[in-house]
Amino acid sequence: MHFRFARRWIALLVAITVALVGVAVYISLPRAYLLLATTTSTRDTGLLPYLLPQFTADTGIVVRYVAVGTGQALDAGRRGDVDVVMVHAPRLEDAFMAAGDGLCRSLVMYNRFVIVGPVADRAGVRTAANATDAFLRIHNASARFESRADNSGTYNKELEIWAASGLNVSAFGGWYEKTNQGMGQTLTIANERDAYTLSDDGTWYSRESTLPYLGLLHARVESILQNQYSVIPVNPDTHPGVKSEQAVAFARWLVGQRGQNLIATFAVNGHTIFTPNGAGAC
Amino acid sequence: MTMSLEVEGLRKEFDGRKVLQGVDLRVAPGEVFALVGPSGVGKTTLLRCIDFLLRPEAGVVRFDGREAPNSPPEQLALRRQIGMVAQNPLLFRGSLSYNVSFGLCVRGVEDPELTDRTLVALAAVGLRDLADAKASNLSAGEAQRVAFARAIVVRPEILLLDEFTANLDPANVAQLENAVTAYHRQTGATVLIVTHNLFQAKRIATRAAFLFGGQIVETDDVVTFFTNPKDERTGAFVRGEMPY
Amino acid sequence: MLTVAGDIVGITLLSLLVCGTSTLIATLIAIPLGVTLGLREVGGQRLLRNILFTLYGLPPVLAGLLVFLLLSRSGPLGGLGLLFTPLGMVFAQVVVVTPIILGITMSVVATVERRVKETAFVLGADRWQLSVTVVRQAAAGILTAVMVGFGRAISEVGAVFIVGGHIEGQTQVLTTTIITDISQAAYGHAVALGVILLVIAAVVYSLLYRLQERTMP
Repeated sequence: MHFRFARRWIALLVAITVALVGVAVYISLPRAYLLLATTTSTRDTGLLPYLLPQFTADTGIVVRYVAVGTGQALDAGRRGDVDVVMVHAPRLEDAFMAAGDGLCRSLVMYNRFVIVGPVADRAGVRTAANATDAFLRIHNASARFESRADNSGTYNKELEIWAASGLNVSAFGGWYEKTNQGMGQTLTIANERDAYTLSDDGTWYSRESTLPYLGLLHARVESILQNQYSVIPVNPDTHPGVKSEQAVAFARWLVGQRGQNLIATFAVNGHTIFTPNGAGAC
Repeated sequence: MTMSLEVEGLRKEFDGRKVLQGVDLRVAPGEVFALVGPSGVGKTTLLRCIDFLLRPEAGVVRFDGREAPNSPPEQLALRRQIGMVAQNPLLFRGSLSYNVSFGLCVRGVEDPELTDRTLVALAAVGLRDLADAKASNLSAGEAQRVAFARAIVVRPEILLLDEFTANLDPANVAQLENAVTAYHRQTGATVLIVTHNLFQAKRIATRAAFLFGGQIVETDDVVTFFTNPKDERTGAFVRGEMPY
Repeated sequence: MLTVAGDIVGITLLSLLVCGTSTLIATLIAIPLGVTLGLREVGGQRLLRNILFTLYGLPPVLAGLLVFLLLSRSGPLGGLGLLFTPLGMVFAQVVVVTPIILGITMSVVATVERRVKETAFVLGADRWQLSVTVVRQAAAGILTAVMVGFGRAISEVGAVFIVGGHIEGQTQVLTTTIITDISQAAYGHAVALGVILLVIAAVVYSLLYRLQERTMP
């Protein structure tokens, strides 16, 4: 009698567990949507919740996305864990394509990098002629600078600018801090520590109201400050399971008139930050 | 059907300390047998060896002339024919009914027989009214009675009692002794009772043995054992000259 | 608020599903195993206990990383397609929670008075019946093990983030959303989600506690 109770309890627990696992399986498998890997910066601009439902309405294909660091986004494509990748790190993308991990690569749009920093602007970035000059002034003033140092598109761009100004990053003193984190966290840190940092304009405009100690100091149109986005469907030869057709359809839609129009009209807190320049091989 | 109980050449040691050093004992079917001896001499150890709680270094235990089987299912069946009541017994968390019906549940007995037999056993020890009370709130005497009811409700053919009235007041002692006698009369079970209460041994048992120095020194019918023991040491013990 | 995760209801339900399922699975694995191991008197226990205690300290992020590498399409279990799915998150949490429930159950069972096992044995219990009796006597402690396990699951963020990917409409749970809220400085939203977490914990614990009270002598 006592032991029958035990059996009943166990049977009940097992039944509930099986039911819950069933629910989990049902919502997990099989994957009915196209999975895109992109960066946290892209997520933070809010573009995707604006764009993706339109794509679904036009084509019936549901797209979901994983927003991680640039390095991890590309790696997800390399591993075949996602169907398509959209990042903004041209050098890393070149390596990705050269290794045969991507099927094709299309340019989609660009926004700009801007330099933000403490409102008092001790280093005088506001009056700098260009980005290289601005970075030089920060270095010469030994003003605190937050670097993302996370293998992201933004970080690679930052290194590019330091190099262009002829400076050796490894020789920098304690004023140069590495956060190893995404743009949002890095801006928060810069705000708390009265530091300069390089940001994409999308994240800046979406976070501006929460960063009272920072100001937009350098926002010029320069080719070196261009943040170019590309979309790359994953190569089905290495990963036969990826939804290659749908990935290509997505790439073509982004680059087509509809996608490009939507991109041009997207605004972050009143600023239309993206310039569509779709072109490409997909 | 009652069983005989036989122990031959039993040896048991703990960490090099030899407790049982060749114990020989023969209990006839349906006999009430008292095992006496000073404290710490190994009486409990002997009972635990019989009931499969301890494994002896050497020697045999025989039930109805047959050695204890090795296969677990057969050993289980045999174990279920043996009942034991210890001193300071442990009662399970739960009601008295839960405790007393435990052995029946284990053997697959179901309601209504389960409840009936449980209540009868509780009545036999005068605790029927407390059937649903929590076992954790009992006095020592009540707990011991529950343990006894718990052991006999399954009608064991061999009953091992290990100083089971040692801490009780005379009223409880008397009640339990009567319960043992009643059970024996009803079922004819073989009873081995360990006690250092000589009066109890005289009251209940028909034969007695004296365990001393790791061995059985003397075995006799109860009357001879206490009035005219053969061995000098038995005599000393019976006269109370041996320190506990 | 830009890109702050929508659907609080959906996120909460997914948290409950993932954490509840993983705790249940971990319980069904850990309790029988813990009882069997806890009842064993012999040594070989020490090596097992050391492994177990090390697993207590297994950082969930490390477990998440290992499960990630396991479930990735390029990994050994890639064919299952579980990465970035709720089921994958359950898997990761089972890895984290099982050692905890197992360890506590083992300790509780091993310290159940030896006499409980002996009494059940003497009364004729077979192995299964003995285990059930021990569990019943140790019920309060075992429920504690489950509570601690669930606590770990519901508060866990590293493994579910890594293995789940925090995909909108798919694998966003309360803890991962708090993290992304913070990175977007949506602190009010994050605190609200935190409050929901606490309410869930409070409700679950009060239920388990009530169950536990009934198991006290």
